[in-house]
Amino acid sequence: MAELSDIANEFIRQEIDEFLERPEEIKRNVELFSRVRSDMQDIAAALIEGEDEEVDRLTKKALDEGTDALEVMDDGLIAGMGIVGIKFREAIIFVPEVLACARAMKAGMKHIEPILSESGIEPVAKVLMGTVKGDLHDIGKNLCIMMLRGSGFEVVDLGVDTSEDEFIDALEEHQASILGMSALLTTTMPNMGKTIEALIDADLRDEVMIMVGGAPVTQEFADDMGADGYGKDALSCVSLAKKLAEEGV
Amino acid sequence: MESRPQIVKEMTSRERVLAALRREPVDRTPVCNPTSVATVELMDLVNAPFPGANRDAEAMARLAATSYTELGFDSVMPVFSIIQESSALGCKMQWEQKDNWPTVRMSEPIWKDVEDIVIPNNFLTHPDMVCVLDAIRILRKELGNDVAIIGKTMGPWTLGYHCFGVEPFLLMSLDDPGKTMACLERMKEATVQFGLAQIDAGVDALTLPDHATGDLVSGDYYKRFLMDMHAEFVHTIPVPLILHICGRTVDRMDYIAQTGMAAFHFDSKNAPKESMDIVCDRISLIGNINNPETLFAKNPEDVRKEVVANLEVGVPLIGPECAIPLQTRIENLREIPKTVRQWHGEHDHTH
Repeated sequence: MAELSDIANEFIRQEIDEFLERPEEIKRNVELFSRVRSDMQDIAAALIEGEDEEVDRLTKKALDEGTDALEVMDDGLIAGMGIVGIKFREAIIFVPEVLACARAMKAGMKHIEPILSESGIEPVAKVLMGTVKGDLHDIGKNLCIMMLRGSGFEVVDLGVDTSEDEFIDALEEHQASILGMSALLTTTMPNMGKTIEALIDADLRDEVMIMVGGAPVTQEFADDMGADGYGKDALSCVSLAKKLAEEGV
Repeated sequence: MESRPQIVKEMTSRERVLAALRREPVDRTPVCNPTSVATVELMDLVNAPFPGANRDAEAMARLAATSYTELGFDSVMPVFSIIQESSALGCKMQWEQKDNWPTVRMSEPIWKDVEDIVIPNNFLTHPDMVCVLDAIRILRKELGNDVAIIGKTMGPWTLGYHCFGVEPFLLMSLDDPGKTMACLERMKEATVQFGLAQIDAGVDALTLPDHATGDLVSGDYYKRFLMDMHAEFVHTIPVPLILHICGRTVDRMDYIAQTGMAAFHFDSKNAPKESMDIVCDRISLIGNINNPETLFAKNPEDVRKEVVANLEVGVPLIGPECAIPLQTRIENLREIPKTVRQWHGEHDHTH
């Protein structure tokens, strides 16, 4: 069984030791980081610290030296984002820090995405994300998108104030398997239910798994509307999307 | 709970609210709405629907008065949203329809740097500012001194979200805290100007929403960027100030209590007892009846339980946690003052 001391990168060791509390998460991360190469640990550490220029440099270097793009993404960027998600959930870091980490993730992904795209490697799943009609608040949705992309999902961001027709058109265009809707206002959250009804009317409801979230949204509300899942925060959104991707439609 | 001594003569609603904001004895706990209790039902009742009621002084005053005349609250609040100043500063707006609040298009920011921040010369004469000032004058004329008239002036942190965009503003706070402070220093002029103008128009107190919420930033952030500035507002805006921050805020309530503000309007994500224990008697708390799950979705008996829970631990002003959902039923809102009066009837006694 892997031990914390098996991890080469001191910063990663400290992060796990200081900030992770759930035994299953400690075990998973110790096993993960003790397995991955030290240069991948360095990428993960730079990402956790939100150092976009360093992630950019290390990612490019690893690819130039012949490391497989998928390995850099999984063992460096996604592994690092996993720690970021836990620290955000536990209120150890807040949105500004997560935004910096997401910026670092983007700096690494800009080197990786073209390679993956060329080689035809499939994402975990394709997700459509949008804030519903009448709602211009997008920070929660954007955090979910950052975490989803940081976990290997392909995400199409429909932005804010997304009408039922725009969700339907995007679903037909992108053939996504998961659709995520967000709302911050109590006045706009019923538009999630209206979108689901519109998908039923368009004979598309059975083609997609639907997840919802946002400050006023609850599990009960999600159930009443006929959503397939509710995520209370960005990390829950990722777990839910993985679950929905496995279940399929 | 033991009965409470009744030692204060009967007060008007205005006297009751102002005494509670000064942390002085009251005849009964005031019911207060420092954000908004506008609903679609109330709009219909007085023919003052959104979006017009956000832009027309007569309609704004008519709708605001309903919280006193129809619901029995002890205060009125003519500013139903958080966008009047941002509209006057030049942000792109989405005014929406009757069933939704107006919002700033934050994805189309108007400022990037400190130098961009200019409070226009016509800031206070912009129609969306004049509307609020005129509504306050109408309310004072119509309601006299019976009810507390509370105005609203947005804090610089919220103006930062509106004018810079949420993500750019939050990233700037991490990348360049000095620049962020410089931006806040410039934006606070808007807060002060609009606050003073509303005092001239006749408000008794001002809500100062500044959304450094626990859902976005840490308690340390509040201390670093806003605590001193909020303390400064206490001196530059000379009426009782009510700070409003949504979300979980117990990690910053101690700092908030040190600002000298009269009150903090707190969210239902914070337990009343825990919150009261933190602030002690340094600041009055207002709240914290849950909006989406209770006032919007449940029944009067559920509202009653939350009101009593707040009264039992001594929350000095009772009200909804934030601007209520527009589809909230009137009977749920009326239950708040009704429960407060009944609770005092059962717990107070006259010597």
